[in-house]
Amino acid sequence: MLSETELKVYNELRKRKVATAEELSNVLNLPLSTVSSVVYLLKQKGLAEVDEREIETYELTPEGKERLEKGLPEELLISALQGRPASVQELREKLGNDLEIALMWAKRKKLVEISNGLVRPLVSSYVAEDERKALADPSKGDPDALKVLVSRGLLRKKRVKEITVSLTEEMEVAEPQQVITVLTSDIIKSGAWKNAKIRPFNVEAFPRFFPLGKKHFFREFLERIRDVMRSLGFSEVSGDYVEMELYNFDLLFQPQDHPAREIHDSFTLGLKARSAPGDLLERVRRMHEESWKYRWNQEIALRLMLRSQTTAVTARILATKPEPPVRVFTIGKVFRPDTIDATHLIEFHQLDGLVIEEGYSFRDLLSDLKEIFYRMGVKEVKFKPAYFPFTEPSVEVYGRIEGLGWVEMCGAGMLRDEILRAVDVSTQAGAWGIGLDRLAMFFNHLNDIRLLYSYEVEFLRRARGSLNADDSG
Amino acid sequence: MPTIVVNKWDLLSSLKVSEGELEDLLFNLKSETKEVDPDHLEIEINNDRPDLLHPFGIKRAVDGLLERALGEPKYEVVESGYTLRVHQVPSRPYALAAVVYDVKLSGERLNELIQFQEKLHVTVGRKRTKVAIGLHDLSKVTSKVIEYKEVPLSTKFVPLNQKEEMTVSDVLERTDQGRAYGRISVRDGKSPAIIEDNGSILSVPPIINAEKTRLEEGTKDLFVDVTGTSFEAVSFTLDLIVATLAEGGSRIGLVKVEGLSGVARSPVLRRYNVRAETEYVNRRLGTSFSEDEMVRLLRMARMEATASKGIIEVTVPPYRADVLAQSDVAEEIAQVYGYRRLEPSKQRFRRPGSFLPITSLTRALRDLSVGAGFLEIYTFAFIRKEYLWGDFVTVANPVTEEYTAIRNSLMPSALLFLSRNQNARMPVKVFEVNDVVVKDETTDTGYRNVPRAIYAIMDYQVSYEQLQAPLHAILEDLGLRPVYKETSAEPLIEGRAAQIYSGDKVIGVIGEVRPEFLEKFDLRFPVVLAEIYLDSLLTASRGNSSS
Repeated sequence: MLSETELKVYNELRKRKVATAEELSNVLNLPLSTVSSVVYLLKQKGLAEVDEREIETYELTPEGKERLEKGLPEELLISALQGRPASVQELREKLGNDLEIALMWAKRKKLVEISNGLVRPLVSSYVAEDERKALADPSKGDPDALKVLVSRGLLRKKRVKEITVSLTEEMEVAEPQQVITVLTSDIIKSGAWKNAKIRPFNVEAFPRFFPLGKKHFFREFLERIRDVMRSLGFSEVSGDYVEMELYNFDLLFQPQDHPAREIHDSFTLGLKARSAPGDLLERVRRMHEESWKYRWNQEIALRLMLRSQTTAVTARILATKPEPPVRVFTIGKVFRPDTIDATHLIEFHQLDGLVIEEGYSFRDLLSDLKEIFYRMGVKEVKFKPAYFPFTEPSVEVYGRIEGLGWVEMCGAGMLRDEILRAVDVSTQAGAWGIGLDRLAMFFNHLNDIRLLYSYEVEFLRRARGSLNADDSG
Repeated sequence: MPTIVVNKWDLLSSLKVSEGELEDLLFNLKSETKEVDPDHLEIEINNDRPDLLHPFGIKRAVDGLLERALGEPKYEVVESGYTLRVHQVPSRPYALAAVVYDVKLSGERLNELIQFQEKLHVTVGRKRTKVAIGLHDLSKVTSKVIEYKEVPLSTKFVPLNQKEEMTVSDVLERTDQGRAYGRISVRDGKSPAIIEDNGSILSVPPIINAEKTRLEEGTKDLFVDVTGTSFEAVSFTLDLIVATLAEGGSRIGLVKVEGLSGVARSPVLRRYNVRAETEYVNRRLGTSFSEDEMVRLLRMARMEATASKGIIEVTVPPYRADVLAQSDVAEEIAQVYGYRRLEPSKQRFRRPGSFLPITSLTRALRDLSVGAGFLEIYTFAFIRKEYLWGDFVTVANPVTEEYTAIRNSLMPSALLFLSRNQNARMPVKVFEVNDVVVKDETTDTGYRNVPRAIYAIMDYQVSYEQLQAPLHAILEDLGLRPVYKETSAEPLIEGRAAQIYSGDKVIGVIGEVRPEFLEKFDLRFPVVLAEIYLDSLLTASRGNSSS
């Protein structure tokens, strides 16, 4: 059975008996490469003889192409002379760099005489017929003209394969039936398919690469956490990466000489905030000086940094003196200097939560934390007493992770009265911060935190998100 | 958090508990343990409990938790007959001293004491800037009157662990201690010093002690000096040291202090009272402890407490400084009671909360982008500043030159991502939704996060329309009618770049990347990309952001 193209070539051959691939390509309006491969297919099927030879042909050089279009230099010279003698000087203006070549060939062809710097034409007009013919179609060119043109650098020799095909014998091709490779709308409409066969494909071969659109597994993890928080009655808030120390530290009762505030523990910008509420600064000053017994420096509080904890967003919310009940959360990037390796990055994600509710107690806080982790997929937690400057009592949450045991996951506590007084909130409040990157690593069985931010597209194409909140029911 | 290393068998035998019980008890004291070798444990101590930085302090706390001893221990205090004369030292004005008898510095005891001193230097002492401690063998102190004053840097003495006399200047320049701490308190060519009245130097705080009074195995009695810039911190540190050693059976010797107003003798052994309402404590914890239970729990925390008419009166002992207010009393009660015994309350039914509009928009956009065949990427906010153009934030203390700035556009991140994937199977079609940071004169910091989305296609050949078509469909699905106006903008090819408008608002930019920029990112493939300004989109699209 022959394909549509094979059939075309075969039928043409039946008319001609012998033809070159090039001829077939021209007649059938098919690319030469297609014809070349089809004739070999015909040979395989025993329908044709194929003879392949190397032959010598000529092709135009870029200069040859240009000369053919604009004229050979000697032609240009004769037309520039317009039948009258002219000085070399004059001619240089008209012919430029072509002048020497033009004079040489014009003299050799006896078209001009030169004496005393004066060029005298011997003909009134000139067309280099032989050369032009040879340039236009080297295959029909005069052998002498071809030789000259090669020496003038206008043509160059080229060796090509010439394929000659001839029919072996008049084999009966079963039904000169049409074979359909691509079933098109036209074929269906015209009904042409009724007398045709549809060519079978190799359906067992693997396909070419197909780029799939896919969500990022870590980003999906963060979205699932957002779902968990919303389901527990929390509303989302957000804040900026660039923050002043006031909200990242001072309002959170962190003394200005606290070790966590040392230069190597946060990224500083070397810039100052443009403004901060005066009464808030005053209240924070009093809070620090009364409790920690040192001189609080407002300039330090106004320094800009990249936030080192999303608790800065909590602090911003507190500074607005919100009306209870408040149940808010934020998820975002935080920044801390560190040595980058498989377990440390200088930017990572935290989830911070804040509850301000009448009667909200430490046991209510433990309950919220337990429920958040349960819904994230951490079914077993334990609580450890802890110390954070801005909460009292403070607690660390440890979760049990398959294969790893108890892992520290969260710092939390009841906001200190000193802070609530500074922002004029009289209701009890609980707050927490959870590092999300390590959790994402556990759930996705990754041992390198950098894979959460992979710059390798093939890794992302392979990666499959395996969490999570709702899959363990 | 500071850690200490202790001899496991010593500690277990003094506490009379098993290893498992010890781990449990320390967990409830905010501490974690880790075995460093079969004989030693490393214990992590929280910053608010420096009293646990010595095994005696741990024993005092554990005795309380196990109810073997309640309330504040009674330590023996005697007169020592020594005097500390404090002169004007502007760079480090406060100094106090004490004598401790019968310390029995044998075996591990000496190491524990040195470790205690070092850990206090780091924590309470803020690396010796705020407080520094000098420990001396009392038997080698040859005068009854000790002076604290400034001495010229040319003063000579034999520093600890040296054989030859050195000047203070030499110590500053030639010893590790001098180089690490020498700058803290030296002013105008003078350094603070603790000196005997015969002129021989005992220590040059906060740098180093003299060899003369070095502690040794078998040292029986101690002379302790504490100097610093905060009277409260100096006084507390001395109280903590003597009270801790006293817990091990030593007696505290009082030193007469001259020249400091308000202090006649040290250690001060300060106690102060904090009052807490029982109703407050129960409300904060969600408990219903009686007055008596609270008093019992506080005494288990090794504090004295009394209660009447709903008020608890706590006397904070000299070895604690972290109980400042009612909330600290509540924590003390909860901690001794045990967090694991505090049952989390029942969850109440609650209505769902809400997402920010940007979260809902982002979710819709991500769904559509994936549908359009783009792979989601998630990259760092930090980037090399050379990759950015326009106004952006740089950090003053970067840790590597790879990450010196925070991006102001997602375009450089996408180009960087693509440049690392030139050997991947083509085409690479990616998108990312993330925040960038831009200058904004209207905010209090002068900067603002803005949400953006980036789309990029890299292949052997790409075209403007190849990206415009899916993007257009995405934007239309979000309810917009995008129109395109030719623009010239970095890093896009002139004539193949457009701003995307919705109404009169610019919501993004799209175009093919200029070869100069491809080169800058080492890209050998053409790239077409688009950045969408989601903050503009939020106000431009209506009715699509509710969840």
